[in-house]
Amino acid sequence: MDAASFQFVAFGLVVALVSNFSRSYIWRSIVLFSASFLFLGLLAHNPVVFLPLAGFLLLGYVALILFERGWSRSMVWAILAVILVYVWLKKYTFLPEETFLRFPYFTLGLSYIFFRVLHLLIEAGDSSEKRPIGLGAYLLYTLNFTTLVSGPIQRYDEFARDQFATEPIALGPRVIGLQLERIVRGFFKVNVLAMLLHAVHEDALVQLTDSFSPFSLRILAAFRLAQVYPLFLYANFSGYIDIVIALARLMRVRLPENFDRPFSAASVLDFWNRWHITLSTWLKTYVYNPLLLTLMRRISSIALQPFLGVLCFFVTFFLIGVWHGRTSEFIVFGLITGAGISVNKLWQLGLTRALGRKGYKALAKNIVYSSFGRGLNYSWFAFTLFWFWAGWKQIDRVLSALSVADWFGVWVIAWLQATLILALWEWLRPALLSLKTSEGPVLTSRYARVVYASALVLASLVITLLLNQPAPAIVYKAF
Amino acid sequence: MTQSKANDPADSNEARLSRRDWIFLPMLALLTIALILSFAWLIKHMFFSETPESWKDCLVLNDPSTGVRGIPNSVCRIKSFESPMVEYRMNNCGHRAGMECVPKQPGTYRIVMIGSSFAEGARLRREETFAALLPGELSQKTGQKIELYNEGMGWGFTHSVALRFNEVLAAKPDMILWILTPVDILSASTVSVERGAYTSRMEQRLAGHPILVAAYDRLSEARNMLTEYASGNKELLQHFLYKSQSLYLSAYLKNDNEAEAEFLRVESSKTLQSDLQQAEMDAESIEGQAKASGIPLVAVLLPNRAQAAMIAQGEWPAGYDPYKLNNELRAIIVRHGGIYIDVLPDFRTMPDFDKHYLPVDGHPDAKGHAIIAHLLARELTSGTVPVLKAAAQPQASSAQER
Repeated sequence: MDAASFQFVAFGLVVALVSNFSRSYIWRSIVLFSASFLFLGLLAHNPVVFLPLAGFLLLGYVALILFERGWSRSMVWAILAVILVYVWLKKYTFLPEETFLRFPYFTLGLSYIFFRVLHLLIEAGDSSEKRPIGLGAYLLYTLNFTTLVSGPIQRYDEFARDQFATEPIALGPRVIGLQLERIVRGFFKVNVLAMLLHAVHEDALVQLTDSFSPFSLRILAAFRLAQVYPLFLYANFSGYIDIVIALARLMRVRLPENFDRPFSAASVLDFWNRWHITLSTWLKTYVYNPLLLTLMRRISSIALQPFLGVLCFFVTFFLIGVWHGRTSEFIVFGLITGAGISVNKLWQLGLTRALGRKGYKALAKNIVYSSFGRGLNYSWFAFTLFWFWAGWKQIDRVLSALSVADWFGVWVIAWLQATLILALWEWLRPALLSLKTSEGPVLTSRYARVVYASALVLASLVITLLLNQPAPAIVYKAF
Repeated sequence: MTQSKANDPADSNEARLSRRDWIFLPMLALLTIALILSFAWLIKHMFFSETPESWKDCLVLNDPSTGVRGIPNSVCRIKSFESPMVEYRMNNCGHRAGMECVPKQPGTYRIVMIGSSFAEGARLRREETFAALLPGELSQKTGQKIELYNEGMGWGFTHSVALRFNEVLAAKPDMILWILTPVDILSASTVSVERGAYTSRMEQRLAGHPILVAAYDRLSEARNMLTEYASGNKELLQHFLYKSQSLYLSAYLKNDNEAEAEFLRVESSKTLQSDLQQAEMDAESIEGQAKASGIPLVAVLLPNRAQAAMIAQGEWPAGYDPYKLNNELRAIIVRHGGIYIDVLPDFRTMPDFDKHYLPVDGHPDAKGHAIIAHLLARELTSGTVPVLKAAAQPQASSAQER
């Protein structure tokens, strides 16, 4: 059962239905527990493949119990052990290959389990108020099938608030309708939109790297390649997130949002507040903030303090990049992502210094400035993603398909194009939403939602039936 | 345990649906779907109209003793949804030859072309087909007066060609050009098209169980109807989706209901082996007769779209080989004394050749035919066919003299 497939949606809907047979948190927890284990069982049939994952979970739980019993001095070691075991199980290429386990084993969702386990350990170590987490709750939280494969990374307290509530959150017809509409939207994004965008990307890649392609064909392919992948990734990942958030809501659990119109961001800094929000938030909470505090305590120079923030941003976003994969391409992805955000922060600092705080704020609000910023952010993200979707061989073939000057031209035009299109969208969106009735914007009314959900259902069914092939897998599933 | 607050505005009691909405919203959903389907239907009929396929006006489709053959002096006018209105005018011998069935003019080198719909120039006006373009290119290259008498016929797969080979010899050719395509081999034994051009793998498996075949047919019809109804128009969508090389290729390779992709697999299925055996028997018969009459026979495999796309990409998934059928056919043709010209490697240098096929119908478009004519002319005059090579040299030397 592939994540975001029709089977997955059907499975989730059935679980949500059964979960609502009773409002009791015990019943809902039993259903979620059973469904999560059943989900794992559907993904892999041989129990042996789960042993490393079980060992990892056990390690996390033992460390958690130790912290709860006051062994917080061993916190750093326990956290390091969890990180090391994670890196080892994920087979990061900088580790000696001989040390890896020789048999195939299950690692799907391990990254997200890792974040949840670390979160529990850090919170258990930091918190003065100790609230023991039982094994059942621990497994329910770490193996929750709605967040297992690709997140979102939910905090334990938020999960427990809804999952173990004696009076669970309401679930009326309107909420059900909204969630069903969100599932349809997510399904369409993953199975139709992402598939079409993936095809555009694949075709462009073939045309660009084919030595027999004429220059005109290659340059057009380069334009498509420079623009399409962020859209594909957004449709693929946010579509999946739409589905799982809606399924969880139908089970009376609110998952955190993971996207907030990321391409509306006018800067790289803002982008990461809107893209994979739960990952950025997690790293800001557990890497950026502690690191900044530690550095500020050690380096007292006021003049240097803004630059400490830049350094911490670099480290945090380098880690975000590295987290995505086990190979050296992702180290470069991390480096350029970190570099991009650091340069953005330095630019912000420089402009604030030159124009003053008010002057900078006024500039940031300027429509031309923000439009170019938006286009630049999009193009920069698309550029960094080359090290995300391609291996070194492919990157070499792609980059050597055109001269440096040609590539420069392609990126400049891609930037201008993204600027224009996104500016148009930023103008159009509020204009459309300003069409209102007494109940609110026409386009977000239940009538409009029913219309486009019906259209999306039809398009999704027809296109998936016609093409008779699975959509590209959820990219973030691999991480 | 806690109480979870309902802070989502949609959770509140005022968000309840009115009774009117319980009826109105489902109606709105149905209306939306109906409107989209109607709109798709309208687009299809405005921009992609088609005429009923009235092949019976110009072809005899179900005579197993001859295979599909043209009705002398008949005309069909057919528009498929991806092509313009095309006239299929058969001459006095029932061929879409663009000329009457008369003896060749003295001093003219006559090539008789045989094959199926690619050779016939299906979906194109005759003057746009490579059958019409090739003689001009050859005449230009060789300096000889060359005419091409086209006996290519829709559904003229290998066994049909063998059954009607007497017509080829009757045209008194100097050379026979046999245009083969993958479907010619996959449907080698098909001589009647009452139930469609070729049978699916499932139908082949069920062959001999008439009740199961009938049940399968009903199920297939129901499935097809449902798909078509739900999509508004299946072909219309495919027409747009299949413009993408990668989408088309993956759809083509993954569609397990069709036997068509089998020829691309490294491991030949039993069905394909039996098709190849049939093709070899036909080739033996055809080449034997040509040899006995002293007429050189040249065969060539033209790729279908998926094959052309794989060759153009230069790489393909494990377990596939777009050149495999080409190699097998070369061995068959050469074994029985024919000449085989190999144009497939030329498609490697044309990264977007697959764009020159009609996305759903699968036949080459006018640009595709022009490129094929050019490729064939080049290969035929490159020395593989001694007569045409020998003819090419004087022109080259006379050009030098000038």
